[in-house]
Amino acid sequence: MSELKLSVYVVDDDESVRDSLAFMLEGHDFKVTTFDDGQVFIDQVDLMTPGCVVLDSRMPILRGQEVHAILNQQQSPLSVIFLTGHGDVPMAVDALKLGAVDFFQKPVDGEQLAVAIHKAMTHSLGRHEYQENKSMFDSLTEREREILQLIVKGKRNQQIADELCVAVRTIEVHRSSLMKKCQAKTVADLVMSFAKIK
Amino acid sequence: MSESRYNWQTKNRRIYPLLAGVMFCLISSLSYAQPNVIKVGVLATRGSNEADLRWQPTMMWLSQHIPDTQFFLLPFTLNQMEKAVTYQTVDFVITNPGQAVRLGRQFPLSWLATLNKANGNRDSSTTHAIGSALIVRNDSSFTTIESLSGQSLSAVNQNAFGGYLTMRFEVAKLGINQERYFSDIQFLGFPLDAQIYQLRDKHIDGAIVPVCLLEKMSQEGLIDKNEFRAINNIAPQGFACVASTPLYPNWSFAKVGSGNEELAKKIARSLLALPQDNAAAIAANSLGWTTPISPLSVDQLYRGLDMHPLQKPWWQEAVSWLKQNQQWGWMLFILVIALNGYHFLLEYRFSRSKRELESTLHSLKEKNSMLEHAQRVSIVGELGSSLAHEINQPLAAIRNYSQGGLLRLRKGLPAQELIPILEKIEQQVIRADSIVQRLRKLINKRQIAKAECDINGIISDTLVLLDYDFQKKQIHLTRDNAAEACLLWGDAVGIQQVLLNVFNNAADACIQREEQDNNVTHQIHIETHCDDSNVVIKVQDNGIGLEDDSELLSKAFFTTKENGLGLGLAICRDVIEAHQGQFLLEPASPQGCCVTVILPRLSKLSVDKKEIEK
Repeated sequence: MSELKLSVYVVDDDESVRDSLAFMLEGHDFKVTTFDDGQVFIDQVDLMTPGCVVLDSRMPILRGQEVHAILNQQQSPLSVIFLTGHGDVPMAVDALKLGAVDFFQKPVDGEQLAVAIHKAMTHSLGRHEYQENKSMFDSLTEREREILQLIVKGKRNQQIADELCVAVRTIEVHRSSLMKKCQAKTVADLVMSFAKIK
Repeated sequence: MSESRYNWQTKNRRIYPLLAGVMFCLISSLSYAQPNVIKVGVLATRGSNEADLRWQPTMMWLSQHIPDTQFFLLPFTLNQMEKAVTYQTVDFVITNPGQAVRLGRQFPLSWLATLNKANGNRDSSTTHAIGSALIVRNDSSFTTIESLSGQSLSAVNQNAFGGYLTMRFEVAKLGINQERYFSDIQFLGFPLDAQIYQLRDKHIDGAIVPVCLLEKMSQEGLIDKNEFRAINNIAPQGFACVASTPLYPNWSFAKVGSGNEELAKKIARSLLALPQDNAAAIAANSLGWTTPISPLSVDQLYRGLDMHPLQKPWWQEAVSWLKQNQQWGWMLFILVIALNGYHFLLEYRFSRSKRELESTLHSLKEKNSMLEHAQRVSIVGELGSSLAHEINQPLAAIRNYSQGGLLRLRKGLPAQELIPILEKIEQQVIRADSIVQRLRKLINKRQIAKAECDINGIISDTLVLLDYDFQKKQIHLTRDNAAEACLLWGDAVGIQQVLLNVFNNAADACIQREEQDNNVTHQIHIETHCDDSNVVIKVQDNGIGLEDDSELLSKAFFTTKENGLGLGLAICRDVIEAHQGQFLLEPASPQGCCVTVILPRLSKLSVDKKEIEK
């Protein structure tokens, strides 16, 4: 998925800031959507698609930090960049600890922000991929996970069957189901996906 | 010399040349030798004719008994007599005791003899025969001296002895206020007879006349004695006339300073030798002459009336006293100088301390304005984060717009398409600028300048400064009557400062309450009411409320806040007082505090007027 196809969400209560930010980011060829309120953003956006949110920290109804907390809670792959009128060091540290990609003070330099957004996009995509793999892994049965562990160690079907004291045929059925669930065509694909989760 | 003076004096008096002619004829018929002419001045109390009749025989007697000397009678009024003695145009005088004493104490007069008064039936005599009789009509109601106080009175002259001063002395002795007693007195002058006629004709209520005038006029058939009576008749036993006063020595014969000593001796001898039945004695209504009588009682009278000729004016007395008591005089002088010096010292000190006070007041005012300034600056400090945000927002927008614009230009987009963006930038600049202006207005040290301003406008302006702060503190603000224009003549910046303080306090109170009690919606309600005379601004919060006495709250440097200066409310009160308004703090129900600011809606005219009155 190309980074530029991803959406940049701008959440700020100040109309001029919102409008100007969108104008500037569009200049950097980002696809920008603006919200004047954190709650509206959470209600209207699919939080499970990758992308980047530029959050103002102080907003009347839902503060930026609260929006960030909701995203984390829902394990959203969206990357968060804080853009605040007057931030201080503890605020920035807290934000970064909670997984924000970057923390800026207004007025922000457009170039730096664009770089940060690119970084955030990559991050978001990675996070998205990880989450997909993890959910694949989570959908495996206990036996399939045991077999996957042994496959990754480079054991053959016969060896796996011997180790688990089952028939080779049983292993083959599990292995086929495993490959399907992980959408892997080769053992190499499977191993790569597994490595990402680990 | 005396001849020419005499001529000069008689020029104006037609009667004198005539008399002189008669005398000359008389005298020349007696002696053909070149006579020595001696002038005798006599007081003509009843006119010169009467004086002639009374004294001419005495002159004849003297002329007969002193060889080669002719006595020339000159009748005078009181003033003329005084002048004659002053200029010594006469050699001898015959006058009443009053004038005799007055003249005798000022000019060298030598007493030769005193007239011996014929007493009633001429079988006894007295040397005391001068005094006043206070005569009223017999049918009038007056009985005592006191009863005539302030009534219409008459006398001959204010210096007349028998005719006035003796009576005045009696009044003074009675302790009566002389000014009031003689408030309606007329001085009718010589002849004395006029007074009795005036009294008879009811033009006056009482006449002060010399004793025996009444009897003499009655004797001459001029009046009926029974039509009159005397008040307070204290005439001594056997005295033929009525008298309201004690009697004083009779007329005297005296030598003026220039008179011949030898001649005086001869005259004295001749006068004393005059037999009591001689025509001259009878004409003078006397029993001849006797040795001079002491004029002591007359002196006492003058002294009693404060009119004694030897009595110096008060300032002369003072000077002579000072000369005698120099040490006291000098002490007094030094005392006056010292007191004056002390006065000037006090004055100087007073003006110096006044200047100091004024300069203290001035510096106090200066400090006060500095304090106000500091307070405004501290408000700005409290607003710091809010202001940073307010200013940062437009700056951020400007940066974004400009960077976005640049990006597009670099990509070759036509510049024209950026026009709306540049307009947006300009709006943001205006926004930032207006914040800075508001802030500057607030901080600037200023002269209080009153102008017409709109209260609701000021409130809105103030809320703009606080907007972010309120949002941050999650304060729910409500306003009533915000749109109504409410004009007032006042100091907009001062009022804004008051409102800032009030709003900030309200917000702080809300936050302080939050510390005690969570889950409360912070509310501030602002209300303005505008009528013809007043503007009322009410600010109510549901914060922590008032803990202390509201009096204490507006005292300077009293604060409940950790970082507070304790000046907010005190300064608010000052500003409101400068607008002749009121500042009220009261608890609100169920929770919080209500601040009411009442400002009179003064027009410019009435403000000016009040300032002028001040």
